[in-house]
Amino acid sequence: MIPKMLALVLVAASFTPTALHAQGSPAAAAQPSANAVDPAAIQALKEMGAHLQTLKRFEVSTRLTGERVLADGQKLQHTATADLDVVRPNRLRAVMRSARSEREILFDGKTVTLFTPAQKYYSTVPFTEDLATLVERLEQRYGVEVPLADLFVWGTPEAPLDRIKSAMNAGQDFVGDDLCDHYAFRQGEVDWQIWITAGARPLPRKLVITNRADDARPQSVSLLDWNLKPTFRDSVFTFTPPPGAKAVEILPLKTK
Amino acid sequence: MKTMPARLLPAPIVVLVLATFAITTVADAADRGGHGGGARAAGGHAGGGGARASGGGPKNVHVNNSRADVRTNNVRSTSVNNVNVNRNVNVDVDRRGGCCGGWDNDYHPVATAAAVTATVAVTSAVIGSIVNAPPPGCVPVNYGGVIYQQCGNTWYQPQGAQYVVIAPPY
Repeated sequence: MIPKMLALVLVAASFTPTALHAQGSPAAAAQPSANAVDPAAIQALKEMGAHLQTLKRFEVSTRLTGERVLADGQKLQHTATADLDVVRPNRLRAVMRSARSEREILFDGKTVTLFTPAQKYYSTVPFTEDLATLVERLEQRYGVEVPLADLFVWGTPEAPLDRIKSAMNAGQDFVGDDLCDHYAFRQGEVDWQIWITAGARPLPRKLVITNRADDARPQSVSLLDWNLKPTFRDSVFTFTPPPGAKAVEILPLKTK
Repeated sequence: MKTMPARLLPAPIVVLVLATFAITTVADAADRGGHGGGARAAGGHAGGGGARASGGGPKNVHVNNSRADVRTNNVRSTSVNNVNVNRNVNVDVDRRGGCCGGWDNDYHPVATAAAVTATVAVTSAVIGSIVNAPPPGCVPVNYGGVIYQQCGNTWYQPQGAQYVVIAPPY
């Protein structure tokens, strides 16, 4: 009896680490090493991404706190907000506000418009592909970042889950009133954390990204609020220049 | 907003541009108001007050950054906002004016150290100085999603109802 139980314990002890540990080294015992990729954490990202892709029509807003690092390493913090109206696969209106500026990105499936209401300047670019491609192209060709760009990439093959070098479950936490699962990842030069609503409808509620490329480690914190029963009309995605608006050419990013 | 001691701007530059290019603050405010505030927050979030709470501010009130220390323009790096879209794929891209910041990086232009430490130049405006309007004849240019005013070698970036002189963005 006793030897049998002991054998069971031994089997259990050797089995647990292998699940967390690619090498399954017995010396590592119960704790996974610092760099292990927990497959359950990756799976949570995949499930969130799959759920995001099922959302065909939604509003999401974000309140972002970002940081700038000055020449001597001192950091300054700033805030901005963005409201997004989205219809997959190819409609987007993003309104970005801060104390310094207000800008809009509109995409109606045929044309992308960047609009600054204060000066009534706008720039347009023809574009007919989907939102995941849009956020990539705007970034690479024009240096224009779409707020919450990850929302359009998670759940697609472009989400580089294989580049994650460390993934772990960090327990549970509340974001607002929502109980969330908290995960932490290391990938390239960023460490990032995500809070995903617990349960059958996993939505990202908070995202923290730490930039390790600079010793000062500037960090962004994004809080997301969701409305899955939006009331906007499809006309919000089409840009109609207001009286007095002026078209401005948008330049592709220059190479050095 | 700022309470730090700040250097005063070189007066001649402010005077030069004061009388030009009035900004339509009324229309601006109307546009901002049209998008509403507050009601978007869907999550019943404690302490929120909606999307406008941390950015934008009340209607008809503009920030004034003319007292901000010039050192705040000398940004060597910023936080990043997403984990899937790699900003650094094109390593050859010239991002002098917006090297690494994302959609939120409109607070201060990224300026080179050399440009910031330079004091008053005879022919061009000082990097980091704030003006109420750019001189007449500037050309609007959209680079990196920000619409600048280019006047020869001098570039202005809108900031609230003012403009800040920046290092050329490319």
